[in-house]
Amino acid sequence: MEYLLHLLILIFIYIILAQSLSLTAGLAGMVSLAQAGFFGIGAYSTAILSINYALPISITLPTSMILCGFIALIVSTIALRTVEDYFIICTLGIQIIIFSIMNNWMSMTNGPLGIPGIPSLTFWGFEFDSKLTFLIFTIVLAFFVFFLLLFFKLSNFGRILKALNEDEIYTQSTGKNVYLAKVLCFTFTAILAAIPGVLYAHYVSYIDPTSFTVDESIFILSIVIIGGVQKLWGIIFASAFLILIPEALRFIGLPNDIAANLRQIIYGLILVVVIMTGEKGILELFQRIKNNSCKQ
Amino acid sequence: MQLAINIILSTSIYLLLSLSFSIIYCSSKSLYLSHAIYVTCGAYFCYYFLVTLSLSLVVAVPASIFFVVLLGLFIESNIYKRFRKNLVSSLLQMIASLGIYICLQNFISILWGDNMRSIQLGSIKVGIEVLRGYITQPQIAIIIVCITLFVVVALFKKYNRIGRNINAISSNPVLAEIFGINIDKSILWATGIGSGLAAISGILVAFDTGLTPTMGFNLLLYGMVTMILGGIRSTWGLICGAVLLATLQHLTAYYIDSKWMDAITYFTLIIFLLWKPLGFSGKRLKKVEI
Repeated sequence: MEYLLHLLILIFIYIILAQSLSLTAGLAGMVSLAQAGFFGIGAYSTAILSINYALPISITLPTSMILCGFIALIVSTIALRTVEDYFIICTLGIQIIIFSIMNNWMSMTNGPLGIPGIPSLTFWGFEFDSKLTFLIFTIVLAFFVFFLLLFFKLSNFGRILKALNEDEIYTQSTGKNVYLAKVLCFTFTAILAAIPGVLYAHYVSYIDPTSFTVDESIFILSIVIIGGVQKLWGIIFASAFLILIPEALRFIGLPNDIAANLRQIIYGLILVVVIMTGEKGILELFQRIKNNSCKQ
Repeated sequence: MQLAINIILSTSIYLLLSLSFSIIYCSSKSLYLSHAIYVTCGAYFCYYFLVTLSLSLVVAVPASIFFVVLLGLFIESNIYKRFRKNLVSSLLQMIASLGIYICLQNFISILWGDNMRSIQLGSIKVGIEVLRGYITQPQIAIIIVCITLFVVVALFKKYNRIGRNINAISSNPVLAEIFGINIDKSILWATGIGSGLAAISGILVAFDTGLTPTMGFNLLLYGMVTMILGGIRSTWGLICGAVLLATLQHLTAYYIDSKWMDAITYFTLIIFLLWKPLGFSGKRLKKVEI
């Protein structure tokens, strides 16, 4: 039971991460590989604040969100002057810079040793020390993010993002400020990415830079792609699917190191197949396979 | 002096990598990150032929290059060609290539393990002393091979018919097609040359420092940064980019700390994208627009 709750918490943390990325990658069509970096900034800032200054989450969560947003604002004003391929490489660069700061700034982040002993979550005097209460808290936040994104998608701002994804020059010619919309979108994504970072840090109570590498960014991006870039529901399904695969492999009885590699091979393959068949996400892929088998 | 030798060494490796990457990127107009796997595969195939099967160097190196080119052509003609036919957007193509990279890289991890391996020919020798610096034999080979290949490929692109076709489709694919150049065939040639060059650079790096399954991605990123710094479709630009990148990295390692090398590399890249987004050459890559 504990194990199941653990998996559910992880799934919901990744749902928040992937859904916030889907605003940039899905709606606005700007693929970003820096998501794990902002996830890491959220985790590290809350860890440092709550250990060194013993601040409660009602202060650390907003602080780390503001910090993420501030960094993303600076970074995006620079990175968004480039387009397409170069933008991806730029975000990759940002990700690697953030990682090397986490890995090398010994006095602040404790380098590769990581930060142990992060206290469990307390909110208005209530301590979320059991897994069940933590899960409920995570689900509440996930729903909050989900509806916020849904609201954004339907709002005026969301429509501008959708339009610039389709045709940037045309959108600009109708008098919309495309550059500003992109910067705001990127910043907003980073702000939301801080939330799972805070949750993750409090949940595992020990963080080190290896949880926030480029590979992690790629993993989050593949959740978004496999889920179907603009579909918030698909992402929920995809993150559950991708996190449960390695657990399923463990039950088959494969040795641990091969299972880790096999998991990556599987999600790499799914990624290629989903893009190759031209379906929008894995849900539609399954639907089509089902339809085909029904016809036969 | 050691610093100068190191800079020359890195310059020549980055030069070869960026050349191999840019020849595919310019002709297909998509960032195929699976390029990294050609580098890794080149190194591991060479390791397999040399150490496991203990073949001689003359057989092992061409054989591993051959197999990598075969792999490259297979991926290109079976997967990427279909993407371009279905008009999949270049961003999705890039992500799919990342998927291919992840698959093959983990496959290599399963087969050979994640540990660092090294190819040693005979006993370890102290390097030759040149002007108060040391240089080992593999390093001399790297510099000679890289510079020779770079010149050969540059000449090939300028004077050979196939090379000129590749050049033509990189500068304007629509016009090239009107003039009767077969685009798919040219991209196939470009892939063959690019993957072969990538395999050679992988083998050279393996001889110098050793091999891990993830070596390719880091090297590819350096090659990519060189290409962006240098600008696309320009031989001199690539040389400038490689020299700049290698110099900066080694100065960072010498004066600050080698652990900040990556951060400085990408910091330079971002500054450069701001100040001179088209690199030294200032040429723009023309994507197909209708």
